[in-house]
Amino acid sequence: MNARALRALVRKDLLLELRGREVVPSMAVFVAAAFVLFRFGLGGTDLAGGTRAATGMLWVAIVFTALVGLSRSFAHEREGGTWDGLLAAPVDRALFWAARTCSTFLFLAAVQVVALPAFWLFFLQEHAGPSYPVLVAAVLLADVGIACLGSLLAGLASSVRAREVLLPTLFLPFSIPLVLTAVRVTTDTIPPQTGGLDTLGRLGFLALYDTVFALLGWALFEYVVED
Amino acid sequence: MRSSETIVCAGLRRRFGERDALAGLDFVVEAGETVLVTGPNGAGKTTLLRILATVLRPTSGRVAVSGHELPARAADVRREVGYAGHDPLAYPDLTARENLELYAALYAVPDARVAEELDRVGLDGRRGDRAAELSRGMLQRLALARVGLHRPSIVLLDEPTAGLDAEGRDVLRRFLAEPGRTIVVATHEPAWFDGLGGRVVAMAAGRVAA
Repeated sequence: MNARALRALVRKDLLLELRGREVVPSMAVFVAAAFVLFRFGLGGTDLAGGTRAATGMLWVAIVFTALVGLSRSFAHEREGGTWDGLLAAPVDRALFWAARTCSTFLFLAAVQVVALPAFWLFFLQEHAGPSYPVLVAAVLLADVGIACLGSLLAGLASSVRAREVLLPTLFLPFSIPLVLTAVRVTTDTIPPQTGGLDTLGRLGFLALYDTVFALLGWALFEYVVED
Repeated sequence: MRSSETIVCAGLRRRFGERDALAGLDFVVEAGETVLVTGPNGAGKTTLLRILATVLRPTSGRVAVSGHELPARAADVRREVGYAGHDPLAYPDLTARENLELYAALYAVPDARVAEELDRVGLDGRRGDRAAELSRGMLQRLALARVGLHRPSIVLLDEPTAGLDAEGRDVLRRFLAEPGRTIVVATHEPAWFDGLGGRVVAMAAGRVAA
């Protein structure tokens, strides 16, 4: 692993976002709009499905928010014609996937810093605070999985004409196990519910999911960007 | 492949959909030689350079650079090749310095060389300007700085004179005149390179023209 090259690629993504402000603000607006729609469209905090329905909405909103960001993945390279410069460089092409995974994770985490408190305020204000260590672990593990899977598929979609359609078509089915597990774990963090050992098992599943898609991303990205 | 042959293409073919961009190209470049590849739009010049730069895979045929067969030994070739494409390959929202620092990291060369290269192409005073604020000619010079960062032994340039001002053309002339390099230039202006001792290879319809 070429740490200097990885750092430089992530720095490039962060600088481009800092100056262009294309991804994070769009994601933030999207997730906020989704919460408002859920909150007022579904009749306030008294949801029929209780906390499970609320956490389900949270993760549906997060996955679609991630898609908003992923749809701009590799956009600078594609639109600015800089792909050829990267592909001609003597580094493992999996590094481009790893860098994009890191930046996607950071963008998603930045949005969640605002989105998660807003979610609690909108939907769970009558509940006691969640179990923060479990919640943070679940969110971070789920974010890593979304970033690993999403960056691989965004790279694949970036080389085809129907990329806007292909990315969600591939991403959403593959993210189902992750979303279902993240919903269960997040629900477990809200008192009075506790999952105990089941929660630990679900966190383990999220870690396994991350590992599988990290390995797939690292191994396949070379072929994904091959022209 | 003779030891003096740096680039060898034999029966090289690259297909895009139903169209052959390269249709059985036979092409050899000797070590230290400068070759000017000319031909009308669609002749296959850019496709040839992109394959030699390992950005594109050939559909069939043989291609070897510095004795390394492509695409199998692409990683070895990438260390030896400097490639400036038709686009400047710079991120518009990064400064000239930041663009080169990115490539310095990818090519594992010291950051100090970024300043050297910017100075060499006359962009030292514009190092803090975003690439979007540079003229087309300045972007071409930035591309030359990027190509020179890792001191490649093989240089591939696609239309390097496009948009260059007088100062940029001087920079390009000095760059091409530096000894010890094998250079392949795709150009519509072969006359511009008179005096640099380049061999002209005309292409048409994906082959070397008769």
